Amino acid sequence: MNERVKLQEADRVEAKTPEDLRRADEDLRLPAIAPREQYPIDVRAPEAREQTNAVGQRATRPDNRLQGLGQLKYIADFSFPGMLFARIKRAGIAAARIVRIDTSAAEAMPGVMAVLTGSEIPVNSFGPSYQDQPVLAQDRVFHAGDGVAAVAAVTEQIAEEAVERIVVEYEPLPAVFDPIEAMRDDAVRVHEDGSNIYTSKTIRKGDIEKGFADSYRIFEETFRTQMVEHVPLEPHAAIADWDANGRVTIWSTLGRITLGRADIARTLKMPMSRIRIAGTIVGGNFGGKNEITQEPVLALLSKKTGRPVKGTYSREEEFLATTTRHPFIMDYKTGVTKEGRILARKIRLVLDGGAYCSWSETTLGKACILSSGPYKVENLLVEAFAVYTNKTMTGAMRGFGAPQVCFAYESQMDDIARALDIDPLEIRLRNAFDEGAISPTGQVLHSVVVKESLAKAAERFGWEARTP
Amino acid sequence: MTDIAITVNGELRKASVPSETTLLQLLRDNFQLTGAKLGCDVGDCGACTVIVDGAAVNACLMLAVQAEGRDIITIEGLANRQVFHPLQQAFEESGALQCGFCGPGVILSAKALLDENPDPDVYEIRDALAGNLCRCTGYTKMIEAVQNAARILRGEPEISSRMISR
Amino acid sequence: MKRRGRGIGCMWYPIGFTVAANPSAATVKVNEDGTATLLTGTVETGQGALTVLAQIAAQALGIATDDVHVVSADTDATPMDTGAIASRTTYVTGNAVRLAAENARTILFEAAADLLRVKPGQLEAKDRKIQVKGYPQRCVDIADIAGHAQTKLGQPPIGTASWNPPTVAMDPETGQGQPFSTYVYATQIAEVDVDDETGEVEIVRIVAAHDCGTAINPMLVEGQVEGGIAMGIGYALQEEILFDDKGRQVNPNLTNYIMPTSLDVPDIDVSIVSNTDPTGPFGAKGVGEPTSVPTAAAILNAIHDAVGVRVHSLPATAEKVLAAIKAKRAAEQRQIAG
Repeated sequence: MNERVKLQEADRVEAKTPEDLRRADEDLRLPAIAPREQYPIDVRAPEAREQTNAVGQRATRPDNRLQGLGQLKYIADFSFPGMLFARIKRAGIAAARIVRIDTSAAEAMPGVMAVLTGSEIPVNSFGPSYQDQPVLAQDRVFHAGDGVAAVAAVTEQIAEEAVERIVVEYEPLPAVFDPIEAMRDDAVRVHEDGSNIYTSKTIRKGDIEKGFADSYRIFEETFRTQMVEHVPLEPHAAIADWDANGRVTIWSTLGRITLGRADIARTLKMPMSRIRIAGTIVGGNFGGKNEITQEPVLALLSKKTGRPVKGTYSREEEFLATTTRHPFIMDYKTGVTKEGRILARKIRLVLDGGAYCSWSETTLGKACILSSGPYKVENLLVEAFAVYTNKTMTGAMRGFGAPQVCFAYESQMDDIARALDIDPLEIRLRNAFDEGAISPTGQVLHSVVVKESLAKAAERFGWEARTP
Repeated sequence: MTDIAITVNGELRKASVPSETTLLQLLRDNFQLTGAKLGCDVGDCGACTVIVDGAAVNACLMLAVQAEGRDIITIEGLANRQVFHPLQQAFEESGALQCGFCGPGVILSAKALLDENPDPDVYEIRDALAGNLCRCTGYTKMIEAVQNAARILRGEPEISSRMISR
Repeated sequence: MKRRGRGIGCMWYPIGFTVAANPSAATVKVNEDGTATLLTGTVETGQGALTVLAQIAAQALGIATDDVHVVSADTDATPMDTGAIASRTTYVTGNAVRLAAENARTILFEAAADLLRVKPGQLEAKDRKIQVKGYPQRCVDIADIAGHAQTKLGQPPIGTASWNPPTVAMDPETGQGQPFSTYVYATQIAEVDVDDETGEVEIVRIVAAHDCGTAINPMLVEGQVEGGIAMGIGYALQEEILFDDKGRQVNPNLTNYIMPTSLDVPDIDVSIVSNTDPTGPFGAKGVGEPTSVPTAAAILNAIHDAVGVRVHSLPATAEKVLAAIKAKRAAEQRQIAG
């Protein structure tokens, strides 16, 4: 970083003769960065990209070439003159009232250019369904990963140290971590203004009582899934640059920029035309980068300092302060004929939503619709609830509730097959949707290939029928 | 501040940095070689992998001062003005990278393997890449690409030779 | 002793948002040299979406993938897009791109009809040419016609379009409705070895057969399936965020949060089930999320097949599997004793 400065200092001491001076001059002309010529400039694309019948080709990606050369610039690789580095202080306590935030020690540190707290955010809430999440926690902390203050400093290290010097006084509040407990009427309220059950859905079709009454056997089981993280290799990163016309440009790892801009405009209470969101290739998303995170904080820090401000989440923050996949508790009751045909199904889903709604509504909806599997079920009742707890918020993650319910309906399918002495492939073929099948929501399905996929996988696997 | 002189991609480079500077910071911040990525900063993910004296190393775990006098190869040093390194060619042709954030590290781990062992079996490739986490690809096409690159490097007929110079 | 088992996971998955509108818009500009520039507000998150969109635009214009440059992810420059979410890019953004390219092509047809002295409806775009259907020798290069449209007709060949999947709202009481425009289907079969002394599960291989409608780019589809399965393996056997009794995460790092490495992912055999959806661009649907859906189910069923225990919660760690095996043995002992 200070190569040039250092050489100049050396210069003053050593340069005595014209030769020395010339040598020093040559030293000074050393390029500050490695020459950028380590890639071929004229290599054609593989043939598949040149075919004029483009659909169906194994066309390579131009971005793949840049990635392999190390030339693709992700947000963390961007740098601007005068750029500052932001860090966010995390609460570390799951439920509390914020009594006082003292930022004076941080502000006094050399190299610290600005500090920001929740009270400075024009509209301190966001969320795709309900705006129940503060950008920075202001009065209350709802989970341990909540941000409570942010710092912009000339180096990342100074920002990190400054965050340590911010003192937050908390009054701990009772918390609830178990979703079943949180559903009780007398449970601790995660958010003061309402029940912990923040959204519910029902699917009702046919007559389940009759279906169960007609069943040869009934199977009842409970399945549970865990909370997991998306773990994109690239942590969330963004740079905000507030200019003299009152426009802010935000380079971000956000996966949905148009709606992200609307969310950011709302929190900053400014016209959308003054906000530009630009991205490059995101280093992995899987649903975890579909919501704004630190962008409003960086924008306001840039506004305060008049400098571009970059924020990069640490790996720890990726876990603590971004969305995760919903843990599910799933009760499945299924009635079948002697031949293993499903006659009736009753399903109850409880989603642990963590501290904020985020994409829970969508997850709940998809989980409900998909919960009886790709199978013909004429008598069905699905009841599903998303519940607040004082834990890391859950949100969109590859499958929106589908991996959870698939684990349950497919586990039970095998248990039914085993109990009735039917081959697991056969029982699925007997129940699978055909073209034109009616879905649990009454939709006529088209381009249905469940049986074809079962047959294809079985053929590739070399599946031979045997009773389990 | 500590003075450091290292060879990066065949060129002698000097810098004066605080003693706690990691090799990764030196490469990214001082030399602006941003191919090596910061994914976890504690040596778990391998996104910062570079080659130090022939061995694949997590640059986030090595201090810049520990690299003094050593020979470093980063992803920027693999190709030249005429051709890609066979690994880069094979990774592109196989679509072996998706988000690509792990890519430079993976390719350098594979290079360190092929430099030592020109004809690795699948298990040896899996073993060499075990320190490089990838969330996108399931590693499948990467392993295929390393095998293809090994074939090119051994001078055997390529599975594909579609990357023709104009 | 290691015991081998096999298990099936079968699934269906919708494309796009649940009822809520999730439109995409796109602009395709045919340049004077016959190449094209596509503007899209979606973001490449590594899945290869931009290449797929380029292929769709190219197909509609009769040019090559490499002829299409994609500009994306800039709210100042690119049109509205709901984004890289809900496995919707190929299907929803793809339809918008196809329509935008067709709108640009209509201008090319009008310009070419003028030169070839036929009606625009008699023309098709193929091999970088606009040609008369059934008479491919009566043709003009797109490069020439694009310039002609601009300088002679004063109409640059630019097309813009948007698309939103049709849905019907769900009844709040019964959930009846048409929440999605289309769905994909898939089966994965896992083969595992379970050590009945330690509970450790090793995945031997996974076979996957996925429907995505037309595979616009089979290589990228395979990549999605392989990656989704790897994520599914972590979900099935390894990954879990743990909390202490105060609601703080115990393992927020990649040292203690275990996810699959190259040693954990077995050989994966990917098949694309032949299918075409008339509502998708050139018959395509999508593939992103569903690849990760049935993996855990297949693996847990294979564990059951191997050692006869049903693990009711994820992840099926060695401890959990071993505990289930021990419980089963104890129950069997009691049965013998009783």
